[in-house]
Amino acid sequence: MRYRHILALWLLFSALPVLADSSVIGYVKVLKGEAWLTLADKTQKAELGSPVYLGEQLSTGHDGELGVTFKDETILSLGNDTSLTVTEFLYDPAKTELKLTAKMLKGALQYISGVIAKLKPEAVTIQTPSGYIGVRGTRFLVLVEE
Amino acid sequence: MIRNFIKYRISRTQLLRCPLLLGCCLLMACSPRSYVTLLENTDGSVGKVLVSGEKGSSIIDKPSFGAALDGSSKEPFSVSGERIDQDFKQALDAQPVLPKRFLLYFETGGAQLTAESQQLLPQVLDEILRHPAVDISVIGHTDTAGDAEKNQELGLTRAQSVADLLISKQVQVLELTVSSHGESNLLAPTPDNTPEPLNRLVEISVR
Repeated sequence: MRYRHILALWLLFSALPVLADSSVIGYVKVLKGEAWLTLADKTQKAELGSPVYLGEQLSTGHDGELGVTFKDETILSLGNDTSLTVTEFLYDPAKTELKLTAKMLKGALQYISGVIAKLKPEAVTIQTPSGYIGVRGTRFLVLVEE
Repeated sequence: MIRNFIKYRISRTQLLRCPLLLGCCLLMACSPRSYVTLLENTDGSVGKVLVSGEKGSSIIDKPSFGAALDGSSKEPFSVSGERIDQDFKQALDAQPVLPKRFLLYFETGGAQLTAESQQLLPQVLDEILRHPAVDISVIGHTDTAGDAEKNQELGLTRAQSVADLLISKQVQVLELTVSSHGESNLLAPTPDNTPEPLNRLVEISVR
């Protein structure tokens, strides 16, 4: 019983860093159809120019397309019915603190590497339900079917 | 007799289905539902993708080759243009204008742009107009001549002078960030106290 509580607490705290940092990491540059941004259980419709925050879930509807350019020039563009969250974004080339982790739940994604991957290739990871993708300075497409 | 006949018929159909099923399974293994495909970079170069899942791991180093996300692909498989179009047309369609980086160089010691770099300014402004919902970073750098702390300030003065130039042209931006790396992030590596024109610059990232 006690263990269950500990597990529940652990689950709660493991989700917390997402809420702790509210810095803007990119902006919506392309939007077609419907797309949403969800942070801390608050969902709003994405608009051209919407800021994207660390830990925010990006999702598109049946006819939705969403293109985001991040501060380090990384591009993520999402096709229909796609859901993804950038869970880690460290971009400070002067201090060599570099990391980009995204968690993709479903859908179709194009990734184009930015400065983080160019300076420190092993710092970029895309997690999916069935496996993770490591990047070595490149551009690729991912399809995750439920 | 009739029963036996029916039994025979059933097993015949099953036998017939077997190769079909086998064929399907092979096909499924060859083209998994969840996969990653490597593309050529926007500059024409080719990188690498590593996939690691519960069934193993694979490395893709050729464009238009893919691998299953669960790591089950022993060898990367070829992905046709039609399949890329079918699976990724919308994701590719949603690609923003590619970010562009400009390097503007300065005369020694201050925030005076070189004549050559001054001529680049109209190109920078044109590029900014090409980007819907544009955001920009301006990062100042210095060479290693002189004091590191002073160079940090000089980098910021340089970045701010370029930012002011952009603002004076009344460009509409979502965000314009100004920062300095001073002498700590050399684009042309040198020892300390080395005057180097290639390190006296401001980087502009137009996104």
